[in-house]
Amino acid sequence: MNEWFFGGTTDNWLAALRIGLGLQLVLYCIVSRADWRQMFALQPGSFVTRDLTEALVTLGSTLVPRVSWFISAGEFIGLSEATVLSVVWSVLLAAGLCLVAGIFCRSAAIAAWFLHLSAIKSSALLSYGVDNFTSIGLFYLMLSPLPDHLALDSRWRKWPPKSSQLQSFWQRVLQLHLCVIYFFSGLTKLLGSGWWNGESLWRALTRPPFDMVPSEVLIHGKYLFIPLGLGICLLETSYPIFIWPRRTRLIWLVGIITMHGAIAVLMGLYLFGLIMAVLNIAAFGTHLFRRRAGKAI
Amino acid sequence: MRFQRAYLIGFALHFFLLVTVASRDFFAVLADGSSYLPAALEPRWRMLEDATFTVLGQKLPPNNLMRETIACYLHAAGIEAGYGYFAPNVPYSYKLVFQLTYPNGTTEYELPSVATTETGRRLPTLLDFIAANRYEPLRQLILKMLAYSVWQHHRDALRIRAVFGMVITPSIAGYTRGDEPSYAVVCAYDFGFTKTERSPP
Repeated sequence: MNEWFFGGTTDNWLAALRIGLGLQLVLYCIVSRADWRQMFALQPGSFVTRDLTEALVTLGSTLVPRVSWFISAGEFIGLSEATVLSVVWSVLLAAGLCLVAGIFCRSAAIAAWFLHLSAIKSSALLSYGVDNFTSIGLFYLMLSPLPDHLALDSRWRKWPPKSSQLQSFWQRVLQLHLCVIYFFSGLTKLLGSGWWNGESLWRALTRPPFDMVPSEVLIHGKYLFIPLGLGICLLETSYPIFIWPRRTRLIWLVGIITMHGAIAVLMGLYLFGLIMAVLNIAAFGTHLFRRRAGKAI
Repeated sequence: MRFQRAYLIGFALHFFLLVTVASRDFFAVLADGSSYLPAALEPRWRMLEDATFTVLGQKLPPNNLMRETIACYLHAAGIEAGYGYFAPNVPYSYKLVFQLTYPNGTTEYELPSVATTETGRRLPTLLDFIAANRYEPLRQLILKMLAYSVWQHHRDALRIRAVFGMVITPSIAGYTRGDEPSYAVVCAYDFGFTKTERSPP
């Protein structure tokens, strides 16, 4: 087991994870900029006030980070709620940009994880899978042996490469986590009759506000719903088996990324598609690219 | 060697929690009868779900340190929820419509509005929460907040009726026959605000 976890690997996977998560955070900040204040402020006319959402979250644990902590700290030094919210947004964006460039990697990863976690917990009633997966990625990134060799930190400061044993350990953790995610996701789908008769896939694509493609166009492919629905279930459930052997890894990886790409395009869940592609490539993709590049050379 | 052992122990604990949370949500799906497995097995699934609550410390008193610590770790690691997205079946979606009545008797209709499409894609989480919530005062409070945010842009409105309903989209066969989506009202509330109100409800 020690050999499997600590066998040593390059830090390419970590570079992919860092850049991908940085990009994800930058896009998250950009797309939520217009609604940021409405999501978090206590001002009259806010959509769902922050205090209600945070009260619901703290029912689970009072220790969970939330935006109110920053607001309270800001008030202590005389900053208004609006100013603090702008600062939180700006620092989160800066952390994302630092991760993309690889500057102050560790500090940026910790700041990004903490701010992002606070933001999604304080807007939990408006959160969905993408926030959860970004949180998972940032948690592992923060604990992984940063910086990787592609980060500007490594080049400017001439830091020696981090332990390859730890690189392989954290990559294994991410790999096993993805296996659990897809296994349970696929298995739970297999228990519903809708995934066997195509109705679930049809409903997913026609359910507002994810109905990007008109129903009259989708209905032309009605005979594909059953095989595609079952294909998704099988692809996910068997992910923990077929993602490991070299012969099947590329097929499963391409299949899963294609599935997330299709979800992004057909349902408008672009950020969700991006984060899943990033996690999959970081976990299983970099070996493939390296081997293919090696063969080409 | 010692550092490797420490990492492996940490991983074992993390992985145990991850699988327990995923199993909890999996057993919950089985226990609520939404799968096609025999109903006779539901009490067993409920028992297994119950066991995961115990393991995760969710049966301890709310302010228990162990319970708080486990819950905090789950949130911090992003593993507090399972992975049954769109499973076992894709649910119907919900819709919220506000009917605004003005002093002269005219009525207008508004939908919850957000500035960006991305936030719009987050709204179903809120609507699903309202639908799943069986605690009437909380449901009413959330709808009142949403109505209040609409009233901010229509301060002459005398009354706002929040109508929350389910959008029933036709099946593949139904659509082929020409069926249209229908709307079933789940609940409706009337709210009135005065111009002197300056803080959220």
